[in-house]
Amino acid sequence: MANLHIPRWLLGMALVLLATLFAKNAYTVSIINLMATAALVAASMRFVMLIGETSFASAAFVGVGAYGAGVATTLLQWPFWMAMLIGPLVATVLSILFGVITLRVKGPYFMLIGFAFAEAARIIFSKTALIGGTSGMVGIFPPRELDAWLPSFVTLVVLLFLFLLYALEKSDFGKVLVAIRDNENIAKTVGINVLFFKVACFAIASFCAGMVGSLHAFVNNVISPGDFGYLLASFALAYVKVGGEGSLFGAVGGALILVVLGSFALGLGAGEQLFYGGAIVAAILLMPNGLHGVVLGLRQKYLRRERGAASQGVR
Amino acid sequence: MQTFLQLLITALQIGSVYVLFSLGLTLIFGVMRVVNFAHGHFFTISALLVSLIAPRVIDAGHSVVFSYLVAVAAGLVVTQLLAYVSYRYALRYFLRDMEGAFILTMGMSLLLDGVLLDVFGGTVRSVPEIISGNISVFGVLVTIQRMVLFFAAASVTVMLYWVMSATRIGKALRAVASDHEAAMLQGVPYTRLAMLGFMMAAVLAAVAGALIAPVTIVSPFIGADYLMKGFIAVVLGGLGSIPGAIVGALLIGLIESVGGYYFDSSTATLAIFGLVILVLLVWPKGVLGRG
Repeated sequence: MANLHIPRWLLGMALVLLATLFAKNAYTVSIINLMATAALVAASMRFVMLIGETSFASAAFVGVGAYGAGVATTLLQWPFWMAMLIGPLVATVLSILFGVITLRVKGPYFMLIGFAFAEAARIIFSKTALIGGTSGMVGIFPPRELDAWLPSFVTLVVLLFLFLLYALEKSDFGKVLVAIRDNENIAKTVGINVLFFKVACFAIASFCAGMVGSLHAFVNNVISPGDFGYLLASFALAYVKVGGEGSLFGAVGGALILVVLGSFALGLGAGEQLFYGGAIVAAILLMPNGLHGVVLGLRQKYLRRERGAASQGVR
Repeated sequence: MQTFLQLLITALQIGSVYVLFSLGLTLIFGVMRVVNFAHGHFFTISALLVSLIAPRVIDAGHSVVFSYLVAVAAGLVVTQLLAYVSYRYALRYFLRDMEGAFILTMGMSLLLDGVLLDVFGGTVRSVPEIISGNISVFGVLVTIQRMVLFFAAASVTVMLYWVMSATRIGKALRAVASDHEAAMLQGVPYTRLAMLGFMMAAVLAAVAGALIAPVTIVSPFIGADYLMKGFIAVVLGGLGSIPGAIVGALLIGLIESVGGYYFDSSTATLAIFGLVILVLLVWPKGVLGRG
């Protein structure tokens, strides 16, 4: 069993949650919620990248999660917990169906079909009158007693899922996924059912994507089909790429930084697309391994200097 | 019969523009082994420039056809410059790096979206009719303008097909697409050809954009829809395959015209998506794909 650094995680989670308790004004609260959901969507996107695929379909599953919460809360009047979970569960089922068919193909094919799927899902959302058509759904409220604690609650849920993804990646399951990415045929020769593992990975990531949608719906109270176009997946990809896909913390860090800088840039009047586009192009041209790669490089340089200084001391 | 012919002619008109668009995508994939997410923007920029420049030149007192041609030339020049800059300073480092190039071009497309919105604004424009009048084809009434569009697109397609199958450059491009290392051993300059392929693809997108501008409403977002259809067309036909791109694009044109007639356009889009899933179940590499 790999070392999961549980004490560090607990300490980190406690500190983050403590920080969210101090958020009182509406702007800070909204930024915290945005940061939390962006972190989870980035982690979900990166989880699929463990098998070497890029999933634009995630945007659709975020949408399914959000609409699940919307339908269960406003139309069916389900209790909060069930309403929160139904969207992600439906997203998981759909992703298994989608994955079993499409994960037989790789790379560009999978990516392009995911792109088409996200657009098709958006069209379905906006064509279904029951869920509000193009104008979407309103009035998706969390229970009243949760209102004051919403940012802390959202952060807690996101942190738990981040830990889950982290633990899965460190487990044998995660190692099989990376083995599949590195060389699918070798994985096959040792008897690994490649399609099964790919679909499982995709389903877990899609459950998280659905969770993002569900949280998004309860945070914003309003959802519309336009929120879940392929642009959402593009932004998630930007978080992962800017932060660095080498580690979960890279992806999460990228999400946090881009959300903060993005809302700052929006305040200055720059367009969202201009900002994210510029960030992606600059990140991929200047830091191929993202911020995570830059940090690793700096640490290595520092260690080398330490070692150099130490050996000089000996001499 | 009348309806059938009408639908078929519409399908050919829509499909011919999709063909140009998908040919560019498949050419880039074949030579560079990357998917160009910013392809739609070459198309959009060309269409936007035509809709911006043509009316101004007409106002300056020139004939409609001349103004249109001037605008098309401007569109070609600007998109070629953009293609050169994006290849020379960015894409060059991502040859055969599928994921890197995809993310790079996606970033470029977001960036260009922002720029286009800033420069042209979100308003829609239209281009005045270039050639007026109707013509009757087997008893079906078609505007001459759309006929010209179809023949222009068809002749560009035929020209590309000829270049690819009969000229030295075309053979080199195909050699690089099937095995770039073997081609390099034979002395084919791979990086120069990759750039050539990319520029040719940009020409195809720009021509498609210029052709569609007079018969549609032009907005900075027009490319996204074509990009999705183009992706589906090349997935259907098989990435990197030129006949595949043509077949896929025409098929999409057909579904769109029939589906749009009997249902509505978004149902047609969903049908296209369903078709891709079906095709992938049977031919995971597309109907004519090898890659």
